[in-house]
Parts: sequence; structure tokens; C-alpha cells
Amino acid sequence: MLRFLTRRVLGALVILVIISAVTFFLFYAIPADPARLACGKVCPPATLEQARHNLGIDQPLMVQFTSWLAGIFIGRDYEGLGHCPAPCLGFSFVNRAPVFETIMDRLPVTVALTIGAAVIFLVFGVATGVIAALKQGKALDKVASVSSLVGASVQIYFVGTLTMYFFVYQIHLFSQPKYVPITEDPVGWFNGLLLPWLVLALIFTANYTRMTRSTMVENLSEDYVRTARAKGMSGRSVVLRFALRGTLTPIVTIFGVDLGTLIGGAIITETTFGLQGLGRLSVRAVDYSDLPTLMATVLVAAGAIVLLNVVVDALYAVIDPRVRLS
Amino acid sequence: MTYPKRSASALLAAASLALVSACAAGNQGAPSGAPASAGASSAPAAATYKPAQISLGTAEDSKGPAIPPEGVVKGGTVTMIDRDDFAHLDPAQVYVNTEANMGLLINRGLTGYKRVGKGEYKLVGDLATDAGQVSDGGKTWTFKLKDGVKWQDGNPITSADVKWTIERMFAPFITFGPQYVQAWLTDVNYKKAYPGPYGGKELDNIETPDDKTVVFKFKTPHADANYAFAMAGYSIVPKAKDTKEKYDKEPVSSGPYLIKSHVVDKSIELARNPNWDPASDPIRGAYPDVWKMEFGQEALQISDRLEADSGPDQTAFTFYARIPPERLQQVLNNSSLADRRMISPSPYGNYYYFNLDRVKNQKVRQAINYAWPAKQIQQTVGGPAAAALPTTILNENTTVGYKTYDLFEKTTKPEGDIEKAKQLLAESGTPNPTIVYAYNQTPNQEQVTVVIKNALEKAGIKVVAKPLDRKTYYDSISQTKNEFDLYWGGWGADWPSGSTVMPVIFGPISDGGQNMSHLNDPTVNAEMKKITEMSDIDAANAAWMDLDKKIQETITPLVVAENTISTMLHGSKVGGAEIDPQQWIVSPNTIFVKQ
Amino acid sequence: MFLEVNELTVDFHTEDGVVKAVDGLSFEVERGTTLGIVGESGSGKSVTNLAILGLHNPETSRISGSIAFDGQELLGSSRSTMEKLRGNKIAMIFQDPLTSLSPFHTVGAQIAEVYRKHRGVSKSTARDRAIEMLDRVGIPQPKVRVDEFPHQFSGGMRQRAMIAMALVCDPGLLIADEPTTALDVTVQAQILDLLRELQEQSGTAIILITHDLGVVANTAHNVLVMYAGRAVERGTMREVLREPRHPYTWGLLGSMPSLHRPVDLPLEPVRGTPPSLINVPRGCPFHPRCDHMELLGAQVCTVERPELSPHRGHGDACYLSIAQKTELRSRSGEEKQ
Repeated sequence: MLRFLTRRVLGALVILVIISAVTFFLFYAIPADPARLACGKVCPPATLEQARHNLGIDQPLMVQFTSWLAGIFIGRDYEGLGHCPAPCLGFSFVNRAPVFETIMDRLPVTVALTIGAAVIFLVFGVATGVIAALKQGKALDKVASVSSLVGASVQIYFVGTLTMYFFVYQIHLFSQPKYVPITEDPVGWFNGLLLPWLVLALIFTANYTRMTRSTMVENLSEDYVRTARAKGMSGRSVVLRFALRGTLTPIVTIFGVDLGTLIGGAIITETTFGLQGLGRLSVRAVDYSDLPTLMATVLVAAGAIVLLNVVVDALYAVIDPRVRLS
Repeated sequence: MTYPKRSASALLAAASLALVSACAAGNQGAPSGAPASAGASSAPAAATYKPAQISLGTAEDSKGPAIPPEGVVKGGTVTMIDRDDFAHLDPAQVYVNTEANMGLLINRGLTGYKRVGKGEYKLVGDLATDAGQVSDGGKTWTFKLKDGVKWQDGNPITSADVKWTIERMFAPFITFGPQYVQAWLTDVNYKKAYPGPYGGKELDNIETPDDKTVVFKFKTPHADANYAFAMAGYSIVPKAKDTKEKYDKEPVSSGPYLIKSHVVDKSIELARNPNWDPASDPIRGAYPDVWKMEFGQEALQISDRLEADSGPDQTAFTFYARIPPERLQQVLNNSSLADRRMISPSPYGNYYYFNLDRVKNQKVRQAINYAWPAKQIQQTVGGPAAAALPTTILNENTTVGYKTYDLFEKTTKPEGDIEKAKQLLAESGTPNPTIVYAYNQTPNQEQVTVVIKNALEKAGIKVVAKPLDRKTYYDSISQTKNEFDLYWGGWGADWPSGSTVMPVIFGPISDGGQNMSHLNDPTVNAEMKKITEMSDIDAANAAWMDLDKKIQETITPLVVAENTISTMLHGSKVGGAEIDPQQWIVSPNTIFVKQ
Repeated sequence: MFLEVNELTVDFHTEDGVVKAVDGLSFEVERGTTLGIVGESGSGKSVTNLAILGLHNPETSRISGSIAFDGQELLGSSRSTMEKLRGNKIAMIFQDPLTSLSPFHTVGAQIAEVYRKHRGVSKSTARDRAIEMLDRVGIPQPKVRVDEFPHQFSGGMRQRAMIAMALVCDPGLLIADEPTTALDVTVQAQILDLLRELQEQSGTAIILITHDLGVVANTAHNVLVMYAGRAVERGTMREVLREPRHPYTWGLLGSMPSLHRPVDLPLEPVRGTPPSLINVPRGCPFHPRCDHMELLGAQVCTVERPELSPHRGHGDACYLSIAQKTELRSRSGEEKQ
């Protein structure tokens, strides 16, 4: 297991370096000059050059990239901006704060949004899937199937804006979505995120319902489930300990992907609800040609996906002992 | 005056919601004296608008406290919601109007604008006892600091701080703020002339005969220097507490509030500065005890929140977020919002520039002006409530001594005079010229382009429309050797005078520069130099206005574009909220929280 | 009688129609004896036994008749009653031990959980019991293997583990559904020996479902031959294998490779295919595949269903008389010789 993990983590690091290099060089393919943003309304060539120098983008690309990489481990000094301590992901071109600080500030929002929604859609999706599978062909199954289809086909900016308008502004059922650190005010944290959670969950649940239902139906006819029943196991134990266990592998797979995607930034959700997470940060970074911030958000997103992949692989082994040996 | 980041430097910015509505569309406009009177059903809001009146205040006017708005209440907490945080807090880096607005809460300068009534402002002394004393034919400006003005730590604000403030603006790390005073003290290439004070060198032509007096000795006369000093960029920085580039994050307050907390791009909380004395400040009301600022909200959300006006949002307002087009009619039609609605046309100049290197015949340029479908464009961008139709180069809100004129009958024929255009084209010898029109490729501009194309083609002009990527739009059209005949561009005055408009948009021609029509006329250049050096500011203002008309008459380098009208909302418990006509943003000075 | 099945009928309701999987089946099993149930796939063997355990989905199946186990009527019993019986008084082992054991749990856990469920003992007691059972079914190093997963076992070991699991509560009745089909021939014999041994030790009654008469010959005391959901022949092992009466049984015997047959003789499977259980042929369900109807002259085989007779002892469901059958058998035996 240790060797497996070491190998995977090393592989992940290589992937991250490649991704950051690609992001970096692609960024400069865009014909927009971030130094213009740091230069005033009247921008004489000398000032523009100075701005470029201050941002460290007057160096050759390769040098810029390697000093960016090195900055992660040893920190960096910017002439016009000051010292950026390790792990230095650079200074934002726009707000001139060390990117790492901003990322660390945004990460909890996105993580809280993701985890909260994930708990809801996982529990709810799996539960409805199991119920639908057990009540195959009955009204409940049909309701679950139809609602999951509806859920899968709606768009978050549509539902989000709509729910905001009705539930927040009109009937005041939910409070204005916002992020309060859980350490400060757990109730406020919950209230502020509840609506985004539910809306995100609404969209994601469907997938889990369908996936759980179909795998569960398959599993319920597995021989070992019949064996369990023949052993006198109670109905619930048969469903939860035996049939559901076999359903976990595909669920964990898509869950890992979903979680990774969401941590990378639930861009539309965060924008719709005005939550200051990584998704919004990355949109802003694109808007303002803020390369260091963009790089960092891309890295976090890629890192999350890569990390969750490793976790998912490790989980496979926990769920299914047959995987452990092979 | 500052120019919103979203259109000035912003040219790089991809459009997000606020941006689309604000300016990626490419069109904000200059206001008009008589907005769209030809359109019979002009919105009531637009019809009641009067341009700002700005005059010079006296020493008496410069005394505090500020004139309170009606029904003012002190205390409480007000919330400001907007999309973006302030990129800069170091005054030397402040040019953008939102940042200037923030600056009003924490910084003070030598001069500033005092609101004396609805739409009426006076330039007064802020830290200075009056708006400055000019001598030596406009070359020497003397300011005396008020007694008892202090930094947040209780230390007095001295003339040395003022001198330091200007000197540090020469340092290499300052790249964003205004540049006028620096250039006047040295020369155009001011960064080469003086490296800043950090190496121990001083600027000799800023004199501080005593702690209270500071004297600026310019190379040439600048009768409007006191207006320049009112720019947020020239707010004062303490010599003793200057942390160079770090100051941008941790400024020292001289204004009514202190930054209690700041989470970049997310929130700012302001608390009162105990060392700010309202009796010394004629400009800032500073009525709420606490300011909470929230960033990261799109214009649409802000608009919906303020419209819903529920709970804590009742004490909320926004500096900048305008009602987006998709909500505009709804907000304008809702009579219950009447007392929470704020409406103001843009203070910027907006032009469709002719590339004079390519469109060489003035009659063609005049023909296009006559054929111009101003009214149809206005309809396309949302009607008279969303855009006004000015007729002058200078904007009425930002021009002291503004006088309107209408050279191309836009007041009587806003839909365009095709016959007149055809006649001029016939006279020009090219009855069917081809015009390459470059535009910023946004959905809104696509529509406007169709309207322009249709109208000009009726007059017999062949229009080739060239869509440009919005990220590089400005870079493309500001190339001196561009391949286009006509394109939109904008410019905002830095103070209410033609002196920060004309010499720029008809000034030096360079790649990336602002003279986009490439006008380089000896008569005009000489006239601009003459007006700039006038020592009588009123005469100068009148002369700018005359030059405005003269340029359009004799050269016609542009078509005056439609001017966006901003509609904004504030919470029901926010009092004193109004859009500052020069800054085009809700001023914090009069804001209070109703009980 | 320990287990008495009477007029058992199992219907499945499918989209295509009603499947009569078992149709009026009766049989008995005594304590300590083994009943072999033989028949082709789809003859209703497994359905019958799942019915005994009450494992059919009540939503889709309809079961009638009677199943009396140790004096207790099982049909219509509550779910909890059945849960208490399953794995405890009546246990079952299945054809493919690889798929029938949960891949997610250790062999030991799967055995122990049955014991815990029915005996309510502590985890460690159950574990000890599992080790004991593994030892009993002849798994070497049971203390180590108890913590292994089924995929770490060989095929024969898995079936031993299945048997251990089935017998952990000393059930009165063990239903073994094709327990050796998926195994190597050598392993098959070992498993059957094991079953026999265990039966001798504990006196468990066994129902052994198989399509393989060889297995029956080795293990069963009594035999029931099923065709199309019905019993077509019943008797002791010797009776049925030595003096088979039903043409279908002949067919089965003919299709069975035997040590007593000359090797060059081709295998002769029963001609034709088993009937659809939705449209069972009128009359004797076997008649479309039967070669001997002409002996009867009358159309009786295609009109009326023959009942199993006599009611006790060696009986079969065919209109041919005993004499006709004896003759036919000796004739076919000669042909084959």
C-alpha cells in the first residue's frame, strides 16, 4: 500500500508540473498584456515597462516559469511588490496579494460548499437509488426515476437564480447565501450554505440515484445476495451489507470525479450565489488576465482531481478485497 | 476624475455580467443637455436629470463640517456590496473611481469636492484651508494646512507629508496613479527626471517653508492645478509611516475611518478614526459608525438583493453596480422603487472616431455624422432610460462652463438625415465611399453595428463591419497604423475641464495612445497649448468649449456617441445615497443609516 | 415426516405470461436421509427448493400447496419466522461457490455471522465456531484461512467453506443445489464424500439437487425425477437407477456417461428440448419428446396428464404399463449392447 501510494503521489506531482507548464505557456498565447492592468489610464511606454518589470513578466518565459516553480519551495522577492514567502505561488497581478494567501482564504468556502452538497447528494442519491431498486417498477421507483431525470436536466444558473429570487428575496425561506467560517458561527455557516448545497445537490443527486438504482438492481440478483438471504440475514442487512456493498465501487468512482470537479471550483454555483470560492476566483483571474492566480486555481483543481483519484483507488481496495492482490 | 477600471485599463478583461453591462459593450456615453427629447416617451428619470454644477469654493466653504443631507442620522452600520475589491489602497496607485470612492473614507487630500446641494459642488480646501493660492501667472501654487488635522495615530499632518506624498509618486513601484503633477514639476518623462525620495533625494520645486505651508513651483502655468490635487491619487501619505509597496495593503488613515479588517476580494470593515475631526472636514459626512463592504456579488445579484430589500439588505447599497439591462425595465417600471432609485448619465466622453489617415474627406465625415442613427442606437441599447444622446465632445457633467451646440441636427433629427448625408457625399466626389467599421464583439455591439450599417448604407456608404476580440479591442484600435476607418473609444475627464480631455484625445499620437482619430492639426495644437497655459481658469474653460465646437466644425474627427445612463438602487434604510455625477458612482460622503 | 411437500405450485408472473415453474409437486424427506432431485435445467428443481426457504419474491411469484417442515407449515409463515429458520434449521449451498460467497467479507465472517444471527453468541465465540467448522470441512490451517477472502480460496475450498457456513448451526435440513457442478471431477467426489460424512455425524436430512445421476448414485437414498415442474418418477436410489420406469429417466440415464458403458458408444442426450413453462404441452408434458407413445395407441398421452403412481414407493407418471416398460428397457439395453 505504501509503495502504491508513493508511486501515485510522485505521478501526481509530475502531472501537476506538466499542467502548470501547459497553463503557463497557454496563458502567454493570449494576446493580452497583464501589465496594462497595472499601468494607469495614461500609460507611457516607460511606465508600462516598469509595470512589466514589477510583475516579473519582462523576463524570458522559461526563466519566469522556473522562478515560479522555485518560488513554491523557497519563496520569492518582487521588486515592486515585496517578499512572497514559501510556498509562493506568486503575487496576483490584480490585487497584488500573495496568491497563496488568497487561495487559502477561498479554499474553505469551496470545500465547505462541496462537502456539504456532497454529503446531501451522496446520502440522498444513494438512498433514493436503493429505494427505487427495492421498489422496482412501483410508483416510488417511477417518482425517483422521473425526478432524477428532471434533476439531471436542469441547469444551476437557472435553478440557482430562480430559487434565489423566490426563496430568498420573495418568501424569505432561506437567508442570503454567504460564507461564515464554521468556527465563528456554526449556525450562520449552515444557514448561509444551505441553499447552495440544496441546489447543487438537486443537480448531482440524480446521477447517484440512477447509478445506485441500476447497480443495486444488478446486485440484488447476485448469487451472494441470495446466499445471504438463505442464511437468514434480515432484509435490511442483506440490502445494506451485501447488495449495497457491491454498489459502492461505481459510486465511489463518480463521487471522486464529482468531488474533484467541485473542489476545483463550482464556478457557476459560486457565481450564482455570490460565494467567494475558488471557482469565482478563477473566473476573476481569467477576466483580469491574472496569471499567478489562474495558475494557482488550476493547480488546486488539478491537485484535487489527482488526489481524489489516488483516494478513489485506495478506496477500491478497501471496498473490494479482490482489488488488493491484483 | 477617475475612469472605471472596467473600461479604461480593462480592456483585457473578459466580460462578466457587470462588465457586459458596464462597458465591454463599448458604449458608455457622454450625457446630453436635453436627453432624447425627440423620443416622445423618454423615461421620467432621464428627463429630470440636470448636469452637475461645479464652482470654486472659498476659504469659508472649506471649513467643516460637511453640509448634512436631509434627515441625516448619525451612527449605525451600512453595508456596501460590489463585484470587485479595490485593487489599490495606496493613494498613489489610485485612478479608478471605485478606489477613489474608498479613498474618500480613509484618505484626505489638499483639495476636494464639497456637495452644497443636489447636483451642486464646490472645489474647496480639504486638508488645506482653501482651494489653493495661485501666483506667478499660474506657475506657483501655495496651500496652507488646517490646524488640528491628524493621522490616525494622532500625529499632525504636516507640509513634509504633502511633499513626501508627491515625491514618492516618482518611485518605480508606483505605476498606476495620476501623473499630471509629477509631469508639471519635472517633465513628461518624469520617472527619468527624479527617482523618488527613498534614496534621499528631494524635489526642490516643492517647498515647505513651515509645517503648515507647501508651495509647488511648476515649469509652466497650470491654472487648474487645484483641481488636479482633488484627484484621489494625490491624497496624502505620512512620511513617517510610508511602507513603500506594502502601503498598498496597509494605508494609514487621515480620513474618518480606519480599516478594521480586510480580506482581499471578499470584505472590508471600517471603524471610526478617533483622530479625524469633522469640524476640519467640509467634504465627508461620515455618518455611519461602521462600514461593511462585501465583494464578489455580480450586478444581477446586487440588483435583485437591493430590489428585494429584505432584512440586512435594507441598510445596503452599492458603489458601482448598475441595474443590468435584463432588470432595467422591471426596476424602472416599479413605482415602489422610486425613492430608492438613482439615475445618472455617464460623465465620460464617448466617440466613434474617424481614422483621419484613412477617411480624409471631411465631407464624408460630416455625411456620416448627419446619417448617424443616434436614436436607433439608443433604442437598441435600451431606450432613453438607458442612454442619452449628447452632441458635444466634452461631457456636460465634467465640464465647468459647459455650453451645448448641435452641429449635425441631432436634437431635431436624432434618427439621422439621410438626404443631407447624400448631398454631402455627392459634394465630396465620392458618393459611395467604403467605411471599415471595427467594433468590440459583444452581443450588444453586434446589434448596434447592424443599426449603424443599415443607416449608413441608406446614405450610400458601403460599411464593412470588422468584429474585434474584446480582450484585444483597444490594443487593435489604438495602433496608429490600423486598418479601420471608424471605431468606438472613450475617455473620462480627470477634473471638470477640457484640459484633461482635449490635449489627450487630440494629443500625442502613439501606438496604444489615446489620440485615436490621429488628429494632428497645427491650429488645434497651438490653440490647445494656449488654453492650457491660460492663467484665467474661467477663460480657459470657455476656450475649451469653443475649441470643442471648432474642431467638429473644421475637422469633424469623430461622431459623438450615445451616453449610457446608469440606474442603481439602494436599500430602504440607506439615506443620502446619490450618484456622484462626476465619478458616476454612489458617493460615501452623504450616506447615512435611517433608524 | 421431517419434510413433507404437498401439491406445491409455484407460478411466476412475467410479461410474457404465467410461468408454471412447479406444478403440483409432492415429496417427502426423512431425517438423516438424502433425497436427490434430478432433472434438466428449468425442470423446477431449484425453484422448489427456493420455495422451501421462502426465497421467492412475493411480488412476482404465487406459491400454493403445503410445505411442512418438522411439523411446521412454512407456506404463509411470517418473514421473521422464515428468517429464523433459514441458515439455522434449513440451510442451503449453491452451485457456484465463487459467486455465492460475498467477495467483500472474509470467509470466517460469513460463517460467523450466521452463527451469531441464530445463536446470539459473542463475536469471538462465533469466530471460534467458524474456525471449528472450517476445520470440520477439512480446510487446512483454519485459523489462518478464517480471515481470508473467498477469492483467496480454491474452488473446492470455497465449496467446503460454503458447506461449513451451511452447517454452522447444525440444520436439520440441508439443501444442496448442484453443489459439485462447478467443480473439478476429483474435487466433486471429495465434496460428496464430505457431505455424506457430515450427514453420518449429524443426521442432517439433505436435498441434493442435480442434473447428474452419477452424483445421485453416490449420495442419495431417495430420488425424485422432475420434468416441467412435475415429478415424473420417484423411488429409492436403487429403484430409480436400476429399474427406471419413466421414459424421461431412461433418457437421463442414457445421457449419463457411465463406467459400465462401452466407451465407443455415443452419448445420447434426451431428444428435443424441455418445454416452455408458459405453454406446457397438454397431456403428458414429456410427450413431444417421447419415443414410445405408439405403444399406447390411444391419444391419451396428448390429452390427459398422467399422475404419479403408485402413491407410495417407486412410482412414475406414465401411461405405459410396468410390463411395457420392462420390455422397452430390455430391448433398448440390447440395442445398445
